Amino acid sequence: MSVDSEPQAPQQAEQGDAGAAFGVTARLRLLIAERPILVLLVVLALLIALTGAIEPRYLSLRGLRNTLLLAAPMGIMAAGQTVLMLTRGIDLSVAMVATAAAYVVGFQAGAGVGTALLLGLLTGAALGAVNGIGVGVFRVHPLIMTLAMSSILLGLFSQWAQTVLLGATSVDPFVRLLGAGAFLGNLLPYNTLVWAGVAVVLIVGLRSSGLGRMIYALGDNPVATRLAGVREWQVLIVVYALSGFFAALAGVLIAGQTGAVDLRLAQEFLLPSIAAAVIGGTSLFGGMGSYSGTILGALILSVLNTMMVFLNAPQALRQVVFGGIVIALAWLYAAATRDR
Amino acid sequence: MSEAAPQADLLRTEEVAKRYGSVVALRSASLAVAPGEIHALLGANGAGKSTLVKILAGVVGADAGKVAVHGAPVELRRPLDALGAGLGTVFQDPALVPDLSVEQNFRLTGVPAERVLGWLARMEVEVPDLDRLVKHLPLPILRLLDLARALAHEPELLMLDEITAALPGDYVETVFGVMREWRAEGRSVLFITHRLGEVLEVCDRATVLRDGADVATLTPSEGDEHTLVEAMLGEGAPTRTQGAREPDPEARGPVVLEARELAARDVLKGCSLELRAGEILGVVGLEGQGQERLFDVLSGDRPFDGGELRVEGQRVKPRSPFDMIRRGVVLVPADRLHALLPQRSLRENLASALYNRVRRWLTPVRGERSAVAQTVERLEIDTRAQRQVRRLSGGNQQKVAVGRWLAAGFRTLLCFDPTRGIDIGTKEQLYRLLRELADDGAAILYYASEFTEAPVICDRILVVYDGAVIAELDPAEADEATLLNAAHGLEEHAT
Amino acid sequence: MTTATDERATSPATTPGARLQRWLRRHGWTIGVWLLLLAFILWYATLIPAFGEFQIASIARNSLPTVYLALAQSVVVIAGGIDLGIGALMVLANSASALLMEDQSFAMTLVIAVGVVLGAAFLNALVGLVIAVSEIPDVVVTLGMLFVYSGLALLVLPSPGGGTSPGLRFLFTGSETGVGTNYWMPILMLALPTALLAWWMTRSRRGLSLYAIGSDLGAAYLSGVSIRRAKVVSYAVAGGFAGLAGIALTTLANSGDPRFINALNALLASLAAVVLGGIVLGGGVGSVVGAVAAGIILFTLNPILTAMGIDPNTTQVVRGVLIVLVMMVAGLLEWRRRRAE
Repeated sequence: MSVDSEPQAPQQAEQGDAGAAFGVTARLRLLIAERPILVLLVVLALLIALTGAIEPRYLSLRGLRNTLLLAAPMGIMAAGQTVLMLTRGIDLSVAMVATAAAYVVGFQAGAGVGTALLLGLLTGAALGAVNGIGVGVFRVHPLIMTLAMSSILLGLFSQWAQTVLLGATSVDPFVRLLGAGAFLGNLLPYNTLVWAGVAVVLIVGLRSSGLGRMIYALGDNPVATRLAGVREWQVLIVVYALSGFFAALAGVLIAGQTGAVDLRLAQEFLLPSIAAAVIGGTSLFGGMGSYSGTILGALILSVLNTMMVFLNAPQALRQVVFGGIVIALAWLYAAATRDR
Repeated sequence: MSEAAPQADLLRTEEVAKRYGSVVALRSASLAVAPGEIHALLGANGAGKSTLVKILAGVVGADAGKVAVHGAPVELRRPLDALGAGLGTVFQDPALVPDLSVEQNFRLTGVPAERVLGWLARMEVEVPDLDRLVKHLPLPILRLLDLARALAHEPELLMLDEITAALPGDYVETVFGVMREWRAEGRSVLFITHRLGEVLEVCDRATVLRDGADVATLTPSEGDEHTLVEAMLGEGAPTRTQGAREPDPEARGPVVLEARELAARDVLKGCSLELRAGEILGVVGLEGQGQERLFDVLSGDRPFDGGELRVEGQRVKPRSPFDMIRRGVVLVPADRLHALLPQRSLRENLASALYNRVRRWLTPVRGERSAVAQTVERLEIDTRAQRQVRRLSGGNQQKVAVGRWLAAGFRTLLCFDPTRGIDIGTKEQLYRLLRELADDGAAILYYASEFTEAPVICDRILVVYDGAVIAELDPAEADEATLLNAAHGLEEHAT
Repeated sequence: MTTATDERATSPATTPGARLQRWLRRHGWTIGVWLLLLAFILWYATLIPAFGEFQIASIARNSLPTVYLALAQSVVVIAGGIDLGIGALMVLANSASALLMEDQSFAMTLVIAVGVVLGAAFLNALVGLVIAVSEIPDVVVTLGMLFVYSGLALLVLPSPGGGTSPGLRFLFTGSETGVGTNYWMPILMLALPTALLAWWMTRSRRGLSLYAIGSDLGAAYLSGVSIRRAKVVSYAVAGGFAGLAGIALTTLANSGDPRFINALNALLASLAAVVLGGIVLGGGVGSVVGAVAAGIILFTLNPILTAMGIDPNTTQVVRGVLIVLVMMVAGLLEWRRRRAE
């Protein structure tokens, strides 16, 4: 046993904190810092109850199903955002990448739905990889890179919307089923099944694969990670490609839900995809967070969305509220975990 | 200690304490500076000297303790408070904004340029062009600008934190001149330095800090270095005998790492060395002689633009640290924070160098658990706060920085000042570990900022000065004075 | 002592030649961007049959919003931050001013304009305050604000509409109808705020404090700069310029347009202008004057591509690709420089 000159005894500090939960605020701080999932679950339950109070019909299996139906594409898009944020990145092109994938699936419908889906998802991954090359190899700021990607795609589709893509707006019945259908007596949406698959892969992968380790490492300390011999660009290309893939998957599900593809298909999902990850406790500055938090974040946003629809709040107001929530929660998490 | 009547003290601090998160920087520091004296503040690295100065300068707030100037308590919450109380500071790092010109810096602080220039003229320093950006000026000039700027405030007490570390000899004399002038006017100087010779030369009294508390106030006199060193280091001061061993040239293996005339910008100017398997090769030098860049270049983290680098005879031009790591050359960087994932667990940290190849990404490497467990055991890492390594103590963090290479494997270890700010016990543990590794055939390049350290554990010692290796010394003959002389580039010109 | 005398070679460089050389080196990037702009305009002149006052006036007035927004982003970036809400704030100012100014007299619209600029500055100062107090990164807070501002814009003005007075249109565009050959007015509206801001940033103590916190927080603090205040000031100034950009947009189009996509495009343009203008993301380095030229260049691409017979949607694609390419070159160069430095 070594004796350290810095008589700080971390274990004492920990015990001290645990025992020193004098006030309610201190207790709450500790809870948020140590058990964010628990806090989020409570918040989710409260929100569901509140929504039920506003509109009793919501507290039914149908209401629950609708919550899942909206939360699944949100949560899948937020999956990419979560992985990126863990590496200190962000992707503002997810909405346009999702639209791109939906267009590709529609455009390739003639080749069979399986091939079309595969091509759509690959397109998403490829666009993401281009983002990753820009950020990882050429060191472009992620915001600029993904914003520019979004702008380029929008320009392309605006141009093609009246020509090449005219026939690509319809959605295959299978995609509709995937995006809007449900089973188990019309209770469990298929898109939630897809979401569950994504969740399992991501939660297990982040925790116990080498890549998962490197994603956390890169976000926590890029210098230490580089000095450990990791080539950042490799990790970055993979995570941006993953984000593109998840965005594409979400785009397909959204298209299945709306029944038609257009330019603004996924536009309303950009903010929730970021907000879900932030609410779930993933730091925009890397190294901390998990996908399980993001799942709860997506559910919370979905319930909140439903509640505001019941309250007849316009879409614009929802945007203001979500934006405010991002700031408030980021502040809360920062305050709860500071100096500990 | 406080023979002088309290009211006579210009500055008095009582039991000042400060902690950063879980790290205690100052436990309880008391200090009294009389008017008209040059008072030295001494202590080993991490003893809390700079923290005390920052508190007195109003840069960081103390957690506890009192500060009084001329007997009246003062609140030092901002730098302006300190200036108002007559405490002027030259910090360890230049306090000039690098991207602004000298003139803009004066404007920013609202110090009249004439007053600063007046002081520079009095120091007989050539006045730099005021339109130049600070980042383009040489460090010694910046230090003197800092000094002139502090003097322009006419402080009662002038605090100089390691100002001489970056100065050539004649400028050191200039600074001493200013200090003596200040004393002659009945004002005081608080002087921090690592060079004991300077303390003996100019200081009237010295207060020694150890582990964040004051342990003695002495009146240094000629030939007193040992008393000072003992006070600074306490009981467990490392001595030559500890890690010493008979140098046995036969036992040394082949050259594994070879640098020939390495040059990088104006920092490295033709640096050559040969590192053999089975040896610990020491590097010493004054601050800022290019040693940090040397290690960065050798580790592949930064490029070089001249000379060549060979690993086991093969020429390499690394593009990233990976190119060196794959050849077995690994770095334990100067700053612990550059080797740790502070928010991640001990296990993830120790395993962090296992996954730098894409083919290991899909599954955790088999044997991760055992590699980690062995490392923890070998290094005797305290695992009580293992959920986040930022909660480990400094010594344990340093072990993690070394440990991640034990877990991943290496042939050549580049250690940059690994013992900075850690306790004697951990230090000795590291010494033993490095010796074991060398005996097992590893090659180790070891930079030590403490001149007393290199002779203790190294087989050979290289001295860097101005971006090049200028001398090789035998540890048996390398006492602190010899090393200091060599490090100042004096050997060639010695009388 | 033989200590390196060259270390002290601070050579006051009093010869005019040396001074000029250094001035050129320090402002090399800014000068280069302006030369590039000149080249673009000359190129444009060769592409169309007749290049004259009309084209100059058109370029000058149509680049006003981008330039103001580039100035806004410059201030924040120089101070070490980044403002993702800036484009949305412009859209909010555009929507609010168009709504309020419709069918008002010139005097009234002028009052509203001042009010909108001050209001935008105040709103963004609050953003700066939140960042300074909470110590959470700029990106997080301003990303949230991107959505808050654009949501507010939609609440204020649910669909494109509104208007302004001919007098105010003349003030910004040099013409009461928004078309014409008077180029003095828009050039003045470009040059005056730029000159004022550039002077303030490099000469005043407060302006220098923004460079200081972007360059080196520690040194800034030791120099007595109040970090929080500087942060709030940087965001407030940026907010004011975003407000100005919104009003310029109102006078150009004689209406407001609250769509989210406008906010995103404006944000991208402002970031691209800042980087192309030689201001380093991270802070402390660069000049707002360079960002202005970059802003005009980004706008000038539109008429050039149109003159080359490319349709507007492709123009957006080409612009995006060019921005990415420039950013890639700049990013790679900057990274290599920093690694070797």
